[in-house]
Amino acid sequence: MKISQVKKIVLGAGFAVLGIAVLLTASAASKPDIVLRVDQASPREVEEPTQRAVLRDYTTAWEAMNVALANNTLSPLNDNFAGFALEALTQRVKDQEASSLKTRIIDHGHKVDAIFYSRDGSAIQLRDTATLETQILDGNTILHSDESQVQYIAIMTGAEARWKVRVLQDVEGR
Amino acid sequence: MGFERDGNDPTRMTMRLFILIALAILVAWFAADSARADGSQDGNLRLPPNPVAGQPMSVGAGHEGGGTLYLIGPGQVIRREVKEGGEVQIKGEELRSAGRWVAILKSGGSSSSKVFWVKEGTPESLSFLAHPSRVPVARQGVINGFVFVFDRFHNLILQPTPVNFSLSVGGAGATHTVASRDGLASIDASSAAKEGAAQFVASVGNVSVRRVVQQVASEPCNLRMHVAQRTKDAVIIETDPVRDCSGNAVPDGTIVTFMQTDATGKSMVDARIKKGIAQAQLPLSSDATISVASGVVLGNNELRIGGGR
Repeated sequence: MKISQVKKIVLGAGFAVLGIAVLLTASAASKPDIVLRVDQASPREVEEPTQRAVLRDYTTAWEAMNVALANNTLSPLNDNFAGFALEALTQRVKDQEASSLKTRIIDHGHKVDAIFYSRDGSAIQLRDTATLETQILDGNTILHSDESQVQYIAIMTGAEARWKVRVLQDVEGR
Repeated sequence: MGFERDGNDPTRMTMRLFILIALAILVAWFAADSARADGSQDGNLRLPPNPVAGQPMSVGAGHEGGGTLYLIGPGQVIRREVKEGGEVQIKGEELRSAGRWVAILKSGGSSSSKVFWVKEGTPESLSFLAHPSRVPVARQGVINGFVFVFDRFHNLILQPTPVNFSLSVGGAGATHTVASRDGLASIDASSAAKEGAAQFVASVGNVSVRRVVQQVASEPCNLRMHVAQRTKDAVIIETDPVRDCSGNAVPDGTIVTFMQTDATGKSMVDARIKKGIAQAQLPLSSDATISVASGVVLGNNELRIGGGR
């Protein structure tokens, strides 16, 4: 094998590794794939425009959380979270920053059921089964990595022009 | 024979050794990576079986060396330095977030980790929303209330929890108990027959939250009227005190319509209830029939005036 051929192979492999890295980074920051079902919602049926709005805003909230935890930035959280969820995530980001840690979530999708929609249309509760790969990093070193299916209970309330996540709690063993 | 010669070739021997070492490194790397990927690289960490938010817990480092312990929870990160084989005490007020946690012990260039769960504490706060704030009396399932149950650190309590709802006006009312599901309990309650500010209370143990729902009189019932005054060219008609079917006074401001029909046609006067009664002045006619209505309710008497009646 000629040296030029070896160079080409090494260069090709390098680009391939770079490409995979770029793809992984992109998937960590891109919009998660979320499927929302509303047939279990009670006591009120979820109207079509509300379904679209909840799906849009819940998806954006996950994207914002992933960006915030991956970069230790608070700004993505404020538009998408409120109340207890915002307080908890804000604290998590501050603590991560203080400990020089970051969390990269590679989101493989969510199956979400609306389980409660209040009669006055002000609040909706979701049960979310998410498939996530979570990496905890110290600088560029991965300290922990796991891939798992986690169930969340989320409560969203209508704000001025969007739905915001007020509670996001993971549930053990369901 | 060729094999024997090849097997003794020092170059080939070196190559085989190199491949074997490379394979061993690859196998070790894959094993380490898969162990890390399923979160089972935990031999160096000792965690309690059922930690609860708000309660102290201890985390032990194994005998492979001390280092830095990270506990990463949904809403916080705890960091501690730990000695070889030592225990780290986490105070109750430090362990605030319920949910999925990761414990990592970083020691030198290596780290071990373990996923664990923290359960929510006992109920200490309620988010209670009641709708609507104003309802007519004696209506079935017209008041909706829902409660989210939280512990003191605002973790949603996912274990079924009995929530008491009571709705009362002037001390009389009803109480229902609903078990929460996924942190939520909701109820559709009926309004009482008596008007007034209903106290709608949700409680769990010693924790209670109160909302006020104003119960107002329903539609007028048995709307009656009489001639209050007669002048040379007009007649003043007024209702009896306007009440709903439960006897509650219909609020002032409610519109009552008086209709007069005579030979010239039909004329209507809208009057608001004031101090419990509605009143209207109508032109005196030689022979007219007067009726009264409020909303969809028609009065149950008619007056005929004129012609000496």
